[in-house]
Amino acid sequence: MTSHTAPIADSSLATSAQRSAAERVVVVGSGIAGLTAALTLARAGKPVTLVTKGIGGLQLSQGTIDVLGSRDGNYVPFAFDAFDGLPDSHPYRLIGKDAVLSGVETFARELGEGYFEGQAGVNALYPTAVGALRPTALVPASMAAGRAEVGRRMVIVGVRELKDYHPELIAGNLARTALPEGDPMDVRAASISLPAREGEVDSNPVMYARSMDRPEFRARFIAEVKKVIQPGEVVGVPAVLGLNDPTVHAEVEKGLGAEVFEIVSQPPCVPGMRMNQHLTVRLKELGVRIVLGAEVVGLQAHEGRVTGVDVRTAGRVRTLAAEAVIHCGGGFESGALAVDSHNRVSETLFDLPITATDATELIHGDYWGAPQPLFEVGVRVDEAMRILDAEGHPVYPNLFAAGGILAGAIRWHEKSGEGIALGSAHKAARTICEGDLS
Amino acid sequence: MKKLSVDVVVIGGGATGAGVVRDVAMRGYSVAILDKADLGQGTTGRYHGLLHSGGRYVVSDPHSATECAEENEVVRRIQAHAVEDTGGLFVVTPDDDLDYSNGFAAAAAAAQVPCEELTIREALRREPRLNPGIKRAFAVRDASVDGWQLVWGAANDAKRHGAHILTYHRVTGMEVVDGSVRQVTAIDEKRGEEVQIDCNFVLNCAGPWAGQIAGMAGCEEVEVVPGRGIMIAMNHRLVNSVVNRCIYPADGDILVPVHTVSIIGTTDVKATDPDQLAIPRDEVQQMLDAGEALVPGFREARAVHAWSGARPLFKDPKVSASDTRHMTRGMKILEHDTRDGVNGILSIIGGKLTTYRLMAEHMVDIMEEKLGNQNECKTAEEIIPGNEDRKTYAVTHRLEEREHDRFEDQIICECELMSRGMITQLMTEQPTASFDDLRRQLRLGMGPCQGGFCSMRATGIAVEEQMVDVERSTELMRLFLKNRWIGLWPILNGDQVRQTALDNWIFHGTFDIEHLPQSEEEAL
Repeated sequence: MTSHTAPIADSSLATSAQRSAAERVVVVGSGIAGLTAALTLARAGKPVTLVTKGIGGLQLSQGTIDVLGSRDGNYVPFAFDAFDGLPDSHPYRLIGKDAVLSGVETFARELGEGYFEGQAGVNALYPTAVGALRPTALVPASMAAGRAEVGRRMVIVGVRELKDYHPELIAGNLARTALPEGDPMDVRAASISLPAREGEVDSNPVMYARSMDRPEFRARFIAEVKKVIQPGEVVGVPAVLGLNDPTVHAEVEKGLGAEVFEIVSQPPCVPGMRMNQHLTVRLKELGVRIVLGAEVVGLQAHEGRVTGVDVRTAGRVRTLAAEAVIHCGGGFESGALAVDSHNRVSETLFDLPITATDATELIHGDYWGAPQPLFEVGVRVDEAMRILDAEGHPVYPNLFAAGGILAGAIRWHEKSGEGIALGSAHKAARTICEGDLS
Repeated sequence: MKKLSVDVVVIGGGATGAGVVRDVAMRGYSVAILDKADLGQGTTGRYHGLLHSGGRYVVSDPHSATECAEENEVVRRIQAHAVEDTGGLFVVTPDDDLDYSNGFAAAAAAAQVPCEELTIREALRREPRLNPGIKRAFAVRDASVDGWQLVWGAANDAKRHGAHILTYHRVTGMEVVDGSVRQVTAIDEKRGEEVQIDCNFVLNCAGPWAGQIAGMAGCEEVEVVPGRGIMIAMNHRLVNSVVNRCIYPADGDILVPVHTVSIIGTTDVKATDPDQLAIPRDEVQQMLDAGEALVPGFREARAVHAWSGARPLFKDPKVSASDTRHMTRGMKILEHDTRDGVNGILSIIGGKLTTYRLMAEHMVDIMEEKLGNQNECKTAEEIIPGNEDRKTYAVTHRLEEREHDRFEDQIICECELMSRGMITQLMTEQPTASFDDLRRQLRLGMGPCQGGFCSMRATGIAVEEQMVDVERSTELMRLFLKNRWIGLWPILNGDQVRQTALDNWIFHGTFDIEHLPQSEEEAL
């Protein structure tokens, strides 16, 4: 543990401009946690500024809402039932089932009726781009038909111009994977060739999805896929069924006369981009101020409270006044946590106290062995999601954290990223809305 | 059981063995080369990629320096495509005193190693990232060389002359009849098959494993001590010329630009087992400090991968005063007939990649003398096929190729600009190859993402092209990820932590590889 030595100026000289703007809540980061926290606050009538260095992590995601899918490599059928068995250091022990349910509900509601299928507490298995069966709670409607069920007949259709999607690999592995209830499904592979743009052999999925937004292109797509599928087969395709036009999936199903599902491969994740786009529009409608391309570099505090956030933007550092701050900056993948060449671990925005500061013993050499402890490192919080110091006291009463920055879970391993993000974002936003900032 | 009969068996597929098999084949013998793993997977593939100008040895070992200078020119001529003509600098950093440099130019001249002193200004013009506090700088003809291309080039040339290239053939024994080696037995690891090779001569080029091999023929006390050294690849060409510290040879004194990276090396620590080479954290720190002395800010650059190699160091309790024929220092050729009373076997231990061809020539000369033959060695004159244009490698070559084929082919590895055509062609030529075997020849997974994006593609393509079935392909992916990690975790810091988190999100989060069906045995 470090003592808190953040580059925080005690700004007893807060300007009148800062004081007058001090009603705003500053949310740092625009991944699923940041977007949801900002939406929750804005819906409750709070003025919100969302500050973000880049576009958030949803576009790098797998496009589903995970809550808790796996423990020690074993599938978890009912996520909430497994909460009690989690170690005390796990974020769910503080977030709790109710906050996860509320967070997921908020998120799903913002995306609209029928956007997702599934329940927060119940996991189902869906095929991945290497043909594994992956547990998750909610999936967009465009993925729902991929749900693994005994007796299902699937055809995995590839597009030769998309190099991140190999139908023989997916189908081959699915066909040799027994379902928890019994035999493997009946799965085969097929391919089509249809360039997103004339003469293009190496297409980006985003470019492909944009082409699918065009009715004439998707008519050709439907015609090509129709040639390789058989009646009664559920059709798995790359996750490129439109970027902006939400009707593409339904139209492809109709055109093929078959159930169709998307399989997400490595980034960029088109379903995640759709969500990101959708939620960003909502935020703007609600009057949230979004500051893009702004790196958060420090905090301002006065009389034991955070009063502002320093951001580096357009070649200078300026301070955004804040009534409260929620740190949704993510984990190591986003750069909010880092290890330097002397193996020192740190939180890079505010130099906050974190659960470990020496990476040396936190990384081991067995790739297939136990999960790497380094990736459990993060900030500790209380039940209200206030960031705590080494002694367990809030660093500031109005400084909160949500999402990937929270210590205690390796999300990719246990399939819990969205549940932790949504639950903690909900809790932090609720605390602020209830005015409990002391 | 597979049976084969050849004149000569070469054991060990590193640079030395590849040079030897080429030479033997070109002198008209039938020959097979065996390695327990892939070509260039041992010491040859685990070094910093320097083709010595000789500058490193002008003071400590002028004879080796002269040989390096000569062979440097030979390799450039016969294997231009494996060589990048980077040039090299010897610099005195602010941490070093000037004593060594005072004798450097004169020693270079005496050893016939081309060398020219540069002004500090000129040295910094050539390498702007160099420590601006350097006190002196000398330019030499160092180059960087791709060890795998060098080895495969020589081996494929040998193949054209009729040689059998038997990778993943682990030698299990040797039969000695009436005091002469007559047969080598091996296991074909990929097919699980025993192989018997009748022969008249064995050339033991097994490097750090040479003692184990010699022991199989009953040659005792060939004690080879692995001298372990670590190297770290940094994710940029921090320098475009080889940069040497102008001091008496020491740890961490060379920075070599190779392909898209630059490699800092190396340490020298006695190891016990050449199959178990650690990458200790204190040595990583030592290398980063050494880099910092040459290029300020080195620690802030991104370390992408580290590895550990074993120099074979020979301790011969039987060495005799008359043993003077070994023309290259730091290298020994053991004549087991006089030494151990076993005919038909020679062992070579030590040496340098730069002089691999010359070492081979010496060894094959001795073999011919024993056999009473005298064929001409042509390895220095004959250009290895494919290199006739004599164009040395440039880091932009692949970009040029991709610009030509971008409308016909997909880029499978963006970091290293490797196309689908390149990988499918090699998969066809070497259908039993693991992804690491493909990597060594294509640089698959060697860029900043360390296989994060390309290894899943390679897995899919291997199934699509029917190179392997889905089970083996999946196991090859598992093995590849495991092996990449060996060189990642000891240097995990900075942006490579961020990359690892992203890669883990992809493989464990999105793909859920943990829940893929798993075979009982690991793929080979």
